[in-house]
Amino acid sequence: MIKFDNVSKRYAGGHEALSAISFEISKGEMAFITGRSGAGKSSLLKLILAMERASTGAVFVDGVNINRLSRRQIAQHRRKIGAVFQDHQLLFDRSVFDNVALPLEICGYRPQDARRRVRAALDKVGLLRKERLYPEMLSGGEQQRVGIARAVVNRPSIILADEPTGNLDPDLSTDVMNVFQQFRDVGVSLLVASHDISLISKLNCRTITLEAGKITEDYSAGGGS
Amino acid sequence: MKSEKLLRSRNNQRRDSPSLSSWVQMHRRTALQSWQRLLKTPASSFATIFVIAVGLLLPALLYGVSSNLSSVLDNLNGSAQISLFMDRGSTASELRLVREDLLFDDAISNVELISSEQALEEFSAATGLSEISQQLSDNPLPATLVVTPMDADPQSVATLAARLGATPHVELVQVDSQWIQRLTAVSRLVAVSGQILTIVIVLGLFFIVGNTIRLAIENRRDEIRVVKLVGGTDAFAARPFLYAGMYYGLGGGMLATMLQFAVVIGFNSALQDLLQLYESNFHLQGFGFTSIAALVLGGGAIGWLGALLASFRQIAAIDP
Ligand SMILES: Nc1ncnc2c1ncn2[C@@H]1O[C@H](COP(=O)(O)OP(=O)(O)OP(=O)(O)O)[C@@H](O)[C@H]1O
Ligand SMILES: [Mg+2]
Repeated sequence: MIKFDNVSKRYAGGHEALSAISFEISKGEMAFITGRSGAGKSSLLKLILAMERASTGAVFVDGVNINRLSRRQIAQHRRKIGAVFQDHQLLFDRSVFDNVALPLEICGYRPQDARRRVRAALDKVGLLRKERLYPEMLSGGEQQRVGIARAVVNRPSIILADEPTGNLDPDLSTDVMNVFQQFRDVGVSLLVASHDISLISKLNCRTITLEAGKITEDYSAGGGS
Repeated sequence: MKSEKLLRSRNNQRRDSPSLSSWVQMHRRTALQSWQRLLKTPASSFATIFVIAVGLLLPALLYGVSSNLSSVLDNLNGSAQISLFMDRGSTASELRLVREDLLFDDAISNVELISSEQALEEFSAATGLSEISQQLSDNPLPATLVVTPMDADPQSVATLAARLGATPHVELVQVDSQWIQRLTAVSRLVAVSGQILTIVIVLGLFFIVGNTIRLAIENRRDEIRVVKLVGGTDAFAARPFLYAGMYYGLGGGMLATMLQFAVVIGFNSALQDLLQLYESNFHLQGFGFTSIAALVLGGGAIGWLGALLASFRQIAAIDP
């Protein structure tokens, strides 16, 4: 589903955030990316979303080289991906409901269909009662969960999550992971960047460890790597 | 059986994926949201609309004046006349003879004789100076033969006038169509300058709308970024701004229509007194349905296109 083939990413400043990364995530697989701050976790996710371009090597999603996509195709590509951003990326002049509805609006859902799905997504993250509020009225953790609801609302085939539990207490974090696992169980591929080692160890999933832009460990729960 | 299945699958499709009606609904919602956003900043929205209205008003007025002029000219052109002022000494029977001779001329459709007494009467009636004319011992006005040519175009009128100079008892030939020619030239000038002005102003309006839209996009950069991150195309991100541009243009067009009516009404009442002197029922024509439609729709189109030109590159440049 997702394949990195010897990918390096060098930013304009000359800093190499990722070097010679190769790995593959299959359909219905859930994997964590860990590593210290600045190791390159967000950079890796941004490459998949076509927010950044690989300097060398190629990133494939569904067998398609992301680097070769036109602008229009990039938009289509992003619709297949539910992304949770480290900095939430919410719209502050729209209600929680409208924020979560945005991906559906872009895909042209009828409002009545969208409503059903938005409610379901908000219910999954426990925010159904706050749908009318605006993001600035929410706590950091609540904003994060709005971002998660928005990522899953369109039933994507890939979910990318950058520190989705950074602002959440252990109970909520476990809830969010349960939501993710439900998606994995219906065939969604998930890639979750996190430093929350205790949470990761509880889940016993594949874990890719980055250090200064290189993969130093690719631990697979089922054995092998 | 088969068709039932087909129907059901089509129903499913309609429920869960984009369709025409959802496209319409989406546009309706975007249109409404853009409208509400304009209302949130009424002062600056109105300022933009006002500038557009004034811009549209100028060529519209010029166009109105020139089309009024040309409709006046159409009426006048049929009435090109040549006045033959006769010798003061010619007698009534001489004048009648000359008139009858002229009536046989193939180039002439009618000849009217205005005796010097009639001329004086008309003069007093028109000017109200009857007392003065009564005090005159001698009638200073000559008798006049007013010739209506067959062919009203300026060229043949001029040829005819030259020929009529040789008619006996004629002292002076005056072609009454000279001022019509001048008016024609003026009206052509007005029309041409109206066209040039229109081009310049349309370009200016593109610039004004574009600038307003550019600012709006700059203010909502973050939103556009997020829209793109979750899979919105450039066209989707641009849509609210295109609606905004269209609203500015439509609003400008409507305001221009109202201003135009105000100008026409004001102009006509000022003109009334002047024109009564000439016993003319000329008045500046109000502007009909087509010109209102042209202003409003043209304004809307200019606004939309201006927003399109301004937004496309800028929105494409916002790269998440
Ligand atoms: N746009 C950018 N331009 C230049 N350098 C960048 C850019 N984005 C990231 N970097 C650099 O790349 C490196 C990796 O950054 P990245 O955001 O991927 O780290 P991270 O693993 O997500 O860290 P954190 O856990 O703090 O979120 C950092 O050293 C950072 O300075
Ligand atoms: Mg990061």
